[in-house]
Parts: sequence; C-alpha cells; structure tokens
Amino acid sequence: MDPYKGIKAEILDIIDETPTIKTFVLRPEKEFSFSTGQFIQFAVPKVGESPFTPSSSPLEKKKFEVTIMRVGRVTESIHNLRRGDVVEVRGPLGKGYPLNEFEKKEVLILGGGVGMAPLRSLLLTLLHEKQKYNRIVLLYGARTPADIVYKNEFSEWAKNGAEIYRSVDKGDDKWKEKVGVVTTLFEDVKLNPNNGVAIVCGPPIMMKFGTLKLLEIGYKPENIYLSMEKNMSCGIGKCGHCGLGKYFVCKDGPVFKYSQIMDIEGIWE
Amino acid sequence: MKFIGKENFAAFTNSLSKKYEIFYPTKVNEQQYEWFKLEDGKEISLEGFRTVLPAKYFFYSPRENLVEKTKKQTIIFGLRGCDIRGLELLKRIYLEEPKDPYFRTDILIFSADCTTFHTDCFCTILGDKPFAEEGFDLNFSCLEDGFLVEVGSDRGKEVLDSHSTLFEEATDIQKKAVIDKRTKVEEELKKQSSGKVLDLQNLKEKIEKNRAVFEEYGKNCVSCSSCTNICPGCFCFLLCEGEENKIRYSDSCQFKGYAKVAGGANPRKNLFPRFANRVYCKFLYRPEAQGLRGCTGCGRCISGCQGKINFREVLLKIQA
Repeated sequence: MDPYKGIKAEILDIIDETPTIKTFVLRPEKEFSFSTGQFIQFAVPKVGESPFTPSSSPLEKKKFEVTIMRVGRVTESIHNLRRGDVVEVRGPLGKGYPLNEFEKKEVLILGGGVGMAPLRSLLLTLLHEKQKYNRIVLLYGARTPADIVYKNEFSEWAKNGAEIYRSVDKGDDKWKEKVGVVTTLFEDVKLNPNNGVAIVCGPPIMMKFGTLKLLEIGYKPENIYLSMEKNMSCGIGKCGHCGLGKYFVCKDGPVFKYSQIMDIEGIWE
Repeated sequence: MKFIGKENFAAFTNSLSKKYEIFYPTKVNEQQYEWFKLEDGKEISLEGFRTVLPAKYFFYSPRENLVEKTKKQTIIFGLRGCDIRGLELLKRIYLEEPKDPYFRTDILIFSADCTTFHTDCFCTILGDKPFAEEGFDLNFSCLEDGFLVEVGSDRGKEVLDSHSTLFEEATDIQKKAVIDKRTKVEEELKKQSSGKVLDLQNLKEKIEKNRAVFEEYGKNCVSCSSCTNICPGCFCFLLCEGEENKIRYSDSCQFKGYAKVAGGANPRKNLFPRFANRVYCKFLYRPEAQGLRGCTGCGRCISGCQGKINFREVLLKIQA
C-alpha cells in the first residue's frame, strides 16, 4: 500500500457558495468511507495537493463534498476545474470528531466563514442521530451576508432540530439577524457549559476569541474541540510540516481538545 | 563476539562486494570523511569519525520520485553511533503505520566505533557514546590487527555465518582492548567539551528561562537549511505532484515558508522562532512524541553552519 497514491474522483457538480468559495461534489472511483472531521488530500494532477475536510455527511457513501475557498495557487487551480474533470484524493486522514464524547451533552458548534465546512459534516452527522444529544446549537458568523456558505441549508438544519444563531460583521438592507462578530451571538443564547461541549472551526482570529469566550462563560478546556489548520503535506505524520508542539496535526488531529494544545506557543497564528 | 583479522576482512568485503553494493567512509582530509562506493582493489578502513553527510540519505533521497525502483542489495560500513541514533528516530517516523514504502529497510548496517573525533563532535554532552550499542546488523570495533565484531540482528548473523571461516571467537584480551579503546575515545571527547553534560531532564525549564540565547545566536542564522540537511535526525520533507506519483523533496523548518498555511498565516515567519524550533523539536517534541531525541551530538550542524553558529555552545548556554 502506497499512502502517497490517491484514488481518482470525478467532479459531479460545482456549487458557488460565495464569490471566493465553491463546493465540489466528488464521486470517488471506489467507495470511500470517512468519519466526520477526518480530512482528505485533494490533488489537481501535476499542479498540487491541498488538505480539506469533507463538508458532507459521512453517511453518504457514493459521493462526498468539499468546500474550498480560493486563497492560493492550488485552490485557484481547483476553482478552475469543471464538471467531469478528474482529480485525485488521498485519505481519509487523521482523527475525526469523537462523537461518543458528545453524547448526552449539549453540543455547541461555533463556526466562522469557510470554517463551516467540516462543521456542516459534523452537524449533518449529529442531526442524523439527534436523540443522542441533549441539544444542538449552531452559532455561525460571516463577514457579510454574501459570505455565508450553504445559504439555503440553514432553514433545513433548523427544521431538523438545530438551534441556529447567525451574525455578520457587516450587514446589508436585507439582513435581519445579528450584526457583529460571531462571539456577540453568545448574548442571545443561554448555554449550559457544565454539561456541554463546544466545537470550533474558523479563521485563526475567530478560533482564538471564540475559545476565550467559551472559557469565560465556563467551558472547560477539555470540552472545547478545535479544528487546527496547518499545512499538512504528507498527511500521515512523516513530513513534519503540520507540527504543533509534539503533535503532527495530520495524524494526532486535525481535531484537538483545547486542553491538549493550550500550552503550546503560537497556536492561534 | 567474533574477531576478524585484517587479511580476512579484505576477503570478507571482497566476497560481499560480489553480491552487494557497499559504501564506506573515506578520509578526504584531516577534518573530513566522505562516503565512497567500494570498487575492486580498494580496501575499507573503519578508523576515524562520522562522515560529512549523514548516512540517512542511503535510506531515502533528498529528492525522490515516489515510484518503485530496482534496489541493489546494499551494505553500509562505518556508520557511527550518531548516525545509528538518527536512523532510529527516522525509522520511528517513516515506519510508523501507515509505513512509508520508499524508506529502505533492506540495507545492511555495519556500524563502527569512532576511533577519533571531529572538533565539532559533542555526543558526550548529551550522555551519548561515540559507538553504537544497538541498531546495527554488525558492529566493527577496530583493533591493531583486525576487528572485534558484534552481531546485532539475525540478518547480521546470517552474513557472518555465511563467511564463518573468516571469523574466530574473540578472546578476552581482544574484548578488553575494545573496552579500553572505547573508554579512551569517550574520555578524550569529554575533555573536548570540558567535561560538560546537559541536564536533559530539566532542559524545558531552562529553555523557557533562557530564551535570549535564541536571539543571541539566531541573529547570525541565514535560514540556509545546511543544519537540517546534514542532520541525521532531521526528517522533514515536502510532497509535490510528479509525473507518475508524488515527488518528495527534503524540506527545512528553517525556511520562512515552511509553516505557512493557506491564507498566509505563518506561526514561524520570524527568524528567532524558526531558530528556536530546531532545539524545541529535537529536545522537547521528538522525545515526547517518538521517545527519542532528534539531536545525536554529531556536530555536523556546527561544521555546516554558514553563520558560524556553534550549536554546542547554544545548548550549553541554555543550561547556564
């Protein structure tokens, strides 16, 4: 087995989420199982490879989705792909969300911008067996209403049992929900940190202030789960790139409890 | 424990060279040994100290197409204790599941005791020794008229057994001579480091207290990556797209772009954190995660540093 070799996957559909974010629906050449929160390496052959966490439910076996923001060379070339193009994927890699630790608890999902991608996969997984969890709350923030991903899905999630609160940093005429950074949403929701877990994913600055807020309102470091963004290259704990203290994010993460990494310097940078 | 005389040793290597590609260290000047491939009529000397380049690049290449290659059966003679310790760490990383299928595990490792040392060598300040105690297939200790040979693996024993007529049981006098010689080299090496020993147990606290050392020495770092390239314990690489499969390039945490993520965030965009990272990785992170230190005390990073940074001094100053 060569862990550096991927399998082929065809692009079935491309959904424009925002001006800089697209969701790619991929059909792998063979069945591809992952746990929610695990990531894949997505390669445009001969161009480059980048890590992403599938944003779809792991219960769907024939296809999966990745939501990708255009930020650099590889993501630029991914955004130029068309329906029917064939890419390569390696994985699933890393450890997913420890769902068993969330059972019989109030689950708070705190997302920012494109950081909603892995959280959408998690949310779909939780909602599928919502009776296992006391409550499912989603706090989501984006820069502007146009920057919100999965725009048409929030009402569906709410209907299926998620309590949803959203904010944008800067609203527009049509925006009737909260205006302010995502942490301002904590003013509007009563949470139970004593029997709750919080799962956070978003840009570094949002992860930092989100975590600080969670600690302030009483969440324990071991009940805060963070998706750490690092530049995974090999994805299997050998190349060193995603080093975070003693951990390799690709194999020990990408999801960490805050208590595991709170003493490591520069985790928010 | 076996003994092989000088003449028999020549016959031994000559016989092996028919089946194996053999590499061995050769003195090119007073301060430098380099790896040579054994050719007809050449004799292997195992005197001396570590080579300029570590042995790790026999096991994987600094630039490598990750495709199946025809591998020649290979023996490397004369790896020193530092090379062996570095390889042990690399094995823990590359051979942890899922295994890297391109990291060679078929190479026979015939190590040798250091009989002298380089002015930059400092393994004794880490409590290490200038000879290998494990991690080899066969180990050779130089004696006046031949070598004492220790078997370290079944593979090593097989090679030895297939040439059993060339070897004899080692005598107690020969065994003692090796112990004396090892002790002498170790003592002299300790003197080179003025008998100093690092308190590895309490290094973490010392690092936190003496971070100014990283600025004092790091200001001369030019981020050239010499130190990581020639370190037997550095293993980092970057995976890129190639024609058939991926290509692996050696990479270095000393490069500015090494830790940069999508969107541009970079926890080690500044020089000092990058410089400090080498010490953290080798003395804190790898022992915690892999159970082995990433520094073997070979001093190659001192020899290779373009900024004339003396890493032995850096370590001792952290402790001071």
